[in-house]
Amino acid sequence: MRPQDGLAWVLKALSRSGSRTLLSALGIAIGIAAVVTLTGIGEGLRGYLLESFSQFGSRVIAITPGVSDNPASPNGLLASSRPLRLEDGDWLRRLPHVQAVIPVISGTGQVKAGRLSRDTSILGTNHEAAAGWRFTLAQGHFLPDEPAQQARPLAVLGHTLAQELFAGQPALGAQVRIGSWRFRVVGVMAPKGQFLGFDLDDMIFIPAGLAQNLFNREGLMELDVIYDAQIPTQVLLGQIDQRLTQRHGRRDFTLYSQEDMLGSLDKILGILSLAIGSLGTVSLLIGAVGIFTIMTIAQQERLTEIGLLRALGASPGLILSLFLAEASLLALLGGLLGLLLWGLLALILHGLWPGLPLDWQLHYLLAALGFSALVGLTAGLLPAVRAMALDPVAALRDE
Amino acid sequence: MRLSDCLAFAHQALTRHRGRSSLQLLAVAAAVCSVLLLTALGEGARRYVAAEFAFLGKDLLVMLPGRKQTTGGLPPLGASLRDITLEDMAFLARQLPRVRLAPLVVGNSQIRQGARSRHRPVLGTTMTFFTTHKLRLVAGSPLPDVPATQATPVCVLGAGLAQELFAARSPLGQWIRIDDRRFRVLGVFHSASSNLGWQLDDSLLIPVGSALALYDTQALFRLFIQARDGQPLSPLAQRLEQLMRQRHQGNLDVTLLQPDAMLATFSDIMATLTLAVVGIGAISLLVAGILLMNLSLVSARQRTAEIGLLKALGAPARLILQLLLTEALLLTGLGGLLGLAVGYGLVTLSGWVYPGFPLAIPPWAALAALACALGTGLLFAWLPAARAARLPAVASLRGRL
Repeated sequence: MRPQDGLAWVLKALSRSGSRTLLSALGIAIGIAAVVTLTGIGEGLRGYLLESFSQFGSRVIAITPGVSDNPASPNGLLASSRPLRLEDGDWLRRLPHVQAVIPVISGTGQVKAGRLSRDTSILGTNHEAAAGWRFTLAQGHFLPDEPAQQARPLAVLGHTLAQELFAGQPALGAQVRIGSWRFRVVGVMAPKGQFLGFDLDDMIFIPAGLAQNLFNREGLMELDVIYDAQIPTQVLLGQIDQRLTQRHGRRDFTLYSQEDMLGSLDKILGILSLAIGSLGTVSLLIGAVGIFTIMTIAQQERLTEIGLLRALGASPGLILSLFLAEASLLALLGGLLGLLLWGLLALILHGLWPGLPLDWQLHYLLAALGFSALVGLTAGLLPAVRAMALDPVAALRDE
Repeated sequence: MRLSDCLAFAHQALTRHRGRSSLQLLAVAAAVCSVLLLTALGEGARRYVAAEFAFLGKDLLVMLPGRKQTTGGLPPLGASLRDITLEDMAFLARQLPRVRLAPLVVGNSQIRQGARSRHRPVLGTTMTFFTTHKLRLVAGSPLPDVPATQATPVCVLGAGLAQELFAARSPLGQWIRIDDRRFRVLGVFHSASSNLGWQLDDSLLIPVGSALALYDTQALFRLFIQARDGQPLSPLAQRLEQLMRQRHQGNLDVTLLQPDAMLATFSDIMATLTLAVVGIGAISLLVAGILLMNLSLVSARQRTAEIGLLKALGAPARLILQLLLTEALLLTGLGGLLGLAVGYGLVTLSGWVYPGFPLAIPPWAALAALACALGTGLLFAWLPAARAARLPAVASLRGRL
């Protein structure tokens, strides 16, 4: 039998029982659509989270006061009798390959400009923060490079804050008041968006030394060390650990590298994504059961046909491949239908929640198609083997 | 035809194709089971978090320094221009004699006893904290009832920390070091709840005055306010805001949280999420339904002669429909029950393997899953059954469609 004849035979068999074929394919289709959509959501979520975590750059080591082996513990926010100081940052800046050391002291307070005021986040930091954290400026420049003790009261406004306080008026050069202090605005940031529910645009940046006075705090909440690609993270971690331990007389701080954090986050999200994807697999499994059942029935119904083919000289291998081709074609049809369904679903989901990350890549879709064919092949194996093993004489006599 | 005959007919039809029926049974069972497990997962997560919050009680308000204009985001973190101080607390206590106030200062310190050393959160508070946070005293006495501003070198250990520092020995009356200061152990408390990612049991309590001195600050991290005698919380929160505004020169610079309300919001979100996940699980039920429809079509075709005979014997179309639907309902019902059994079995099993995260199937979910399975059976078998029932008797007897 030539391949095209075989294909014609299979196609005829499929189209002869139209509704049955359609329903079996639909079962697979729903399964495939579920798997693809769910994997897409899982992967999209993973990409979104990883991106929002790495938007500040990945070559960052964060130092917080106090020792904690629990990464969930908000170290910087808790009191510590052995604070981290601005001078520690200056000390670390001398390490080779360190590009910047950014101090962080944050809090909330009311910022006033003229008759307008807003309760907002106040971030005490230094001139290196904008470049180090990859923030871009819309107007003016960032905080200048000045020694912490002699820093002038200058401020940079986040996008939202600038709009709320100045509403279209020029903000550069204007005065804002925080508590009883006056600051001159030297820059306005470009919009940056949200980070884990924290609005990065509703914020004012001021020199760290002044923020310490403002909040009446001695220590910093965090020091971020930015380093170049020439030095492995672990080596620098070791150097910082050694330097700071030496300086403080004991290890009274905690180090996190953004790289490690991203790595473990990626692992967790990968597992989550897999779990979400496998939710859809249950449907696909049931779809496979459908193909198996239908192929079994087809084999029983076509006993005479098989007998005739065998009597005409068709080899058992041919029968096997005909049945397998039918099963996988059926599943492939389901896979195609499933992708169609997925496209429709993605459109609807996108229309309902434009923010929902629906990641999709061509190789995913191809993999889904390949997988559906494989499902068909596996589900059709047993009935095909049964058909192959039929005794032609007995099969013919069945009529 | 009597009900028993009807059932016998269905039974006969189902057992004739054992393999096919059992596969279908399995498909329905797998679908029901997956719906059930997903519900259990969502419900388990909800209960887990609810338990974390439960110790805070329904009558508690939390005041934290700072305020933000953007609502819906995170509560304000970090420092504030104007701290909440012990003087603020004393003022509130004078104005509102009927409520309980518990201050909280949290620090991260090194705790040493002999050669053993641990880095743990230190909570500076007063005796009232035992009531507001439902701590149970295991041994010794609670924090002394002294004025909040007084710094006394005493502490009460969480049971977990006491175990780590003293093992089997009694810690009562012993001295420990917190950073560079010495504190005498007055008692040991136990609490199953966690806070800030820490088990409360792994921390220790010292008088708030001592904590302020130790960390050289005057700022409270939190102030807990417990209403008495079923006093409604919202008016109390408004009154507190009013008093704090009055005290802070007309500026409202604190935020009041209501853990109970937050928990309710969280519960709602979790319920929606569970529903979404269950919806995904229900897709498998849909696929099982399609399989059922397909097989019903096939079996109706194969049994055309049988149906024709029934019709020739005088069975009305309604009876044929009834017979075929009984078959489908029997199948999905059995499958559903099987799925329920497996689902409950797996949940019980996971309870043994992971006692820390108890899965729970809410009763409504079991009933709903079963009803859904039966509904699917009815829905998807209807079309093939109706088609079979409409067949003209003579044509069917001849075995042709």
